[in-house]
Amino acid sequence: MRDLSLFCAGFRVGFRALRGGIAVALLFSATSVLVPESSRATAAADDTISIGVVLPTTGREGKPGQFQKEGIELAIKKINEAGGVFVKDKGKKLLLKEVFYDDGSDPQKSASLAERAMSSDHVTAVVGGYSTQLGQAESVMADRYQTPWIATGAGATAIFSQGYQYAFGALSPVEVLGATTVEFISKLVDQGKLKRGLRVAMAVENTDHGVDYVGGVKEWIAKHPGYFQLVFSENFELGSTDFSGLLQKVKASKADIYLADAHLQDYITMHRQYLQSGMRHQVVSYGARGPESDARKALGAGTDYVFAGIWWSQRLPYPQVAKFIADYKQFTGREPDSWYAATSHEAIRALAAAIEKAGTTNHAAVRNALHSVELKNSLLPGGVLKFGVNGQAGYPFVIVQNKPGDKVDIVYPKESATGEPIAPRP
Amino acid sequence: MMTAADFLNLLIAALMLAGIYGAMSVGMTVIYGVMKIVNLAHAGFMMMGAYFAYELFQRFNIDPLFGAFLALPVFFLFGMAIHWLLVRRLPKSDQPTLSSLLLMFGFWLVLQNVAYLTWGNTDMSILTPHTLSVINLGPITISTLRLVVFAAAVVSMAILQLILNRSWFGKSVRALIQNPYAAQITGVDDQKISRMAFGLGTAFAGFAGALLSMLYSFNPDFGRPFLVRSFVIIVLGGLESVPGVAFGALVLAVVETFSILAVPAGYQPAISFALLVVVLLLFPRGLAGLMQKKWRAA
Repeated sequence: MRDLSLFCAGFRVGFRALRGGIAVALLFSATSVLVPESSRATAAADDTISIGVVLPTTGREGKPGQFQKEGIELAIKKINEAGGVFVKDKGKKLLLKEVFYDDGSDPQKSASLAERAMSSDHVTAVVGGYSTQLGQAESVMADRYQTPWIATGAGATAIFSQGYQYAFGALSPVEVLGATTVEFISKLVDQGKLKRGLRVAMAVENTDHGVDYVGGVKEWIAKHPGYFQLVFSENFELGSTDFSGLLQKVKASKADIYLADAHLQDYITMHRQYLQSGMRHQVVSYGARGPESDARKALGAGTDYVFAGIWWSQRLPYPQVAKFIADYKQFTGREPDSWYAATSHEAIRALAAAIEKAGTTNHAAVRNALHSVELKNSLLPGGVLKFGVNGQAGYPFVIVQNKPGDKVDIVYPKESATGEPIAPRP
Repeated sequence: MMTAADFLNLLIAALMLAGIYGAMSVGMTVIYGVMKIVNLAHAGFMMMGAYFAYELFQRFNIDPLFGAFLALPVFFLFGMAIHWLLVRRLPKSDQPTLSSLLLMFGFWLVLQNVAYLTWGNTDMSILTPHTLSVINLGPITISTLRLVVFAAAVVSMAILQLILNRSWFGKSVRALIQNPYAAQITGVDDQKISRMAFGLGTAFAGFAGALLSMLYSFNPDFGRPFLVRSFVIIVLGGLESVPGVAFGALVLAVVETFSILAVPAGYQPAISFALLVVVLLLFPRGLAGLMQKKWRAA
């Protein structure tokens, strides 16, 4: 009897212990469900380096954002296939892991997601910020959370003149884009294709990107008197549906050259209305937009002879460019559309090189390494990617021209040219 | 210095724009007039009209102008179905109600998200042999497509005005606009007429969207900037008047086009809002109401 009661007492104690154990196990499981997966991954996985990617894949900038995302994912895939990034303080190679956030082309959301990536998801670095507006929104987070941030699609100087220590940009300054464009046109004057003293009309987006573009053009014209005269310059709001009034003013300025700076959708809308108004300038350019396939689909032969100053072209005669195109085509099933994927691809390569150089994933050390890293055999014009003192890269632009039959030629600089520029427009 | 040719080009551009604005606003005024519903889903119907024309063009190679006219009966039936399903359940009022605003706003969001799911967020556009063609009359240049859209818009508004003036349905609509209670007493079936009016308003929204698809790229958010302008136009023209809509569209188009001479292009969106404020303060019944007042005084 006594044995039986002892047995029952023991059973009760054991049962209570088991019940408690089950409760604790359930509690741990619930916690693991509630904690965001990205954080758990960062905390738990010592064999990966988390890279936050904040880009628009929906909304107005969704198309270029998607191309940039593909460039990033291709670079990560290639690096991981080669074993990853060697991190000295871990004594081994670690794989890169993308943690993606779609900001829906909304600047507030972009900033908030960059903040989340840096603060609660504890990524090693953040890349992203397609377009100046979104890049500007994200840029403030880098120094706040002392996490390296590389802009893959924002080139306005205003972002990199704030004294930020943790902000880097893979695009050459937009001012240089403006200056390069007008310098190229001056070569056409020197070659006798265009006359001296031509009148230039400009319509630019009402952002720092547009301000920089105009600034670059104005500065070049001021330093080289006699080539061109700027007769009209005005801003427009991004996302406008009707440019007919603005284009009437451009028409009334009696300019010979029309230089606009616009995002892809505004380029398509404006150029459609430009053509429908019957205007015909000797040279037409929309800044960094021109050869995009969406524009060809929307406007057909209407995009012929448009010039664009871009950060990369698949026509660049480097072997690494041919390899990138082949890899990209295998990865996505199509060729790269304009420059978007290339700059984001190189941003990841630069980051990987910086982590390897730093020997650690410590933010400050990676930041210091980014300042000194020099990515040779880069896809980008000049073949080298290096960040300047202010964090922004500096490499030459290429000028391309759309030609009939869906052809696109690099027309400047001469050493990279694949065809002759056609000007004045036939 | 503006030349006579420049002025004429601007005037023609304003007229073309007025036609487009009129076509996109008239649907909203019909619905408001009969049901006192501010149809925020108007932008969604326009967006669907654009995609309707796009799908007909892509799949069956149907010219979007013809597609716009095909949109009329399709969207008429669609509008009637929406009225039967949703709108008729709203409480009746002779003033716009919060519930009607919320319902139509919510439905607009539904339409947007259906469009995102179906077509994604990529901007679409329709390229036909006429998209970039122009007519040159000396120093005057007119886009062929804009002229066609203008003509279609004017014809459609004229037909609508004819329907409202000459048909039994039109008389019933005007009766409900003037006095819904008296109209019911005289035998007008307000539910039936409201349903048809909603269908008609939706049909014109779809029609306008299909016309606009020939001029602009579009995505599921298409229609939002036009919705704001439609508000301005129907307030300008008088909330319940089709000729008022045409007049309001003309005023807005002229003011927007010529204001560009005095203000930078970046401020152009503010012009329509500024005009709205001025009209609400000075002419709360719109310019059509002002004209009626002067006519009665005379």
